[in-house]
Amino acid sequence: MTDLKALAAAMDPPVPEELLPQVIPPLEALEAAFRPLVQNVPPDTLMWTGPEDEA
Amino acid sequence: MTVVEIGDALRSKKLSVRELTEDTLRLVADSQERLNAFITITSDAARARAAVLDDELARGVDRGPLHGIPIAHKDNIFTQGVRTTAGSKIFADFVPDGDAEIVRQLNDAGAIMIGKTGLHEFAYGVTSNNPHFGAVRNPWDTERIPGGSSGGSAAALAAHLIPLATGTDTGGSIRIPASFCGVVGLKPTYNRVSRQGVMPLGLTLDHVGPLAGSVRDAALVFSLIATHGSGYVPPPHADLRGMRIGVPDTFFIENIAPEVMLSFRAAVQTAAALGAHVTEVRLPDAGSLNVIGRMVQLAEVSGLLASYLDRRADFGADVLALLEQGRLIAAADYVNAQRARTLLARDFAKIWMDLDCLMTPATPMTAPKIGQMSVAFGSHNEDVRSAATRLARPFNVLGWPALAMPCGFSSEDLPIGLQLIAPARQEDTLLQAGAALEDAFGVAGRQPMR
Repeated sequence: MTDLKALAAAMDPPVPEELLPQVIPPLEALEAAFRPLVQNVPPDTLMWTGPEDEA
Repeated sequence: MTVVEIGDALRSKKLSVRELTEDTLRLVADSQERLNAFITITSDAARARAAVLDDELARGVDRGPLHGIPIAHKDNIFTQGVRTTAGSKIFADFVPDGDAEIVRQLNDAGAIMIGKTGLHEFAYGVTSNNPHFGAVRNPWDTERIPGGSSGGSAAALAAHLIPLATGTDTGGSIRIPASFCGVVGLKPTYNRVSRQGVMPLGLTLDHVGPLAGSVRDAALVFSLIATHGSGYVPPPHADLRGMRIGVPDTFFIENIAPEVMLSFRAAVQTAAALGAHVTEVRLPDAGSLNVIGRMVQLAEVSGLLASYLDRRADFGADVLALLEQGRLIAAADYVNAQRARTLLARDFAKIWMDLDCLMTPATPMTAPKIGQMSVAFGSHNEDVRSAATRLARPFNVLGWPALAMPCGFSSEDLPIGLQLIAPARQEDTLLQAGAALEDAFGVAGRQPMR
């Protein structure tokens, strides 16, 4: 998992300290749900551009 | 009154466009203290336009069903010479030098802009409790939110101030306020309605569409703004015979308030009684769509608004926290979210082999109180933003059209919303099903006690 607190401090400008409780926990939860979804994406998969690509 | 009824009154000279416009402006002005549905009211321009449109009708020039009909545009949609704030302090004095395409189309069709409606700051939230322009209030209970982000449009419709409005929907922002306010909201297929001149939020999630007092009124507007539209407006006795409607057996029926679930089940029974072939369906994992949708949205919005982050004090606290979250998402993660989205879309599209339409609750609960942070579903507590968006956002991620409409009322006399979803570019199916159900429900047009 990404060290979001370190990343927040390293940003230019850094994420203000007082905002961290509203920024880090929700993003950590989202990242935990996100990682498994992108683990096995086939290499030939393109980015989504619209529903017409589904056919 | 519906748009057709108002149009009949205008053409039979029972009412002039000027009189209609004056009545509307008076209602809007009288409601402002109570509802705060508008950020800007364009009285002078509306009066001048009404005179022109009256004169046209007198000369036999009829622009069609929207001739002389009042409309309000969400305040993130550009209007030439009229400030367009996006509900933000940063754009508080921004005056576009041109109309958005949807405004131009509706102007050409004869609609009269009455004003610009209130919204969540930057359309980035579900409450429309705006730190710069004040809270928009729900006409059914002014202690409650109208939903968002198109909260002013939905509140103005629910209070019967105007018959038509526009909105935008990035994660449910047309359908959530439609559900909480008991009006109709159509999120069309991705890119089916032009986004030109609409303040972007989530570049690959944004949709523009109508809100209205009835499904047929929404269909009228859609017929005028849709790219490659069929012009379809449901006939007086639309039916559901032969329509294959799927009702998800997971996710969309989980953690739903009991009264919402009761109304939803009754709506499903109504659809079956009207001749639809209703079946329970197992969908792929809709929770994954919400995860992907949130990653994409956080990154896209933060990219768009990054250059304003040197004005942190000018943002509301909730929007600022989301912008900071988005800054921390790596570009590679954004790219892979969009690639995973392609796979999920491919997987979900298979359901249309056996179905014409899906039916779900529009929101899992009725309108929360202003300032309420969380909502309980039995022992499950969820924050209001997550709960309000979780049934709507999946269809922004897929780009499919979705219609929210009232299907009942709670014991507290709050509207309960139904959502219908169809394959890409099949809005006509949604409008047909919506009109048939609306006729059967008999709740459209109900007005809150003043």
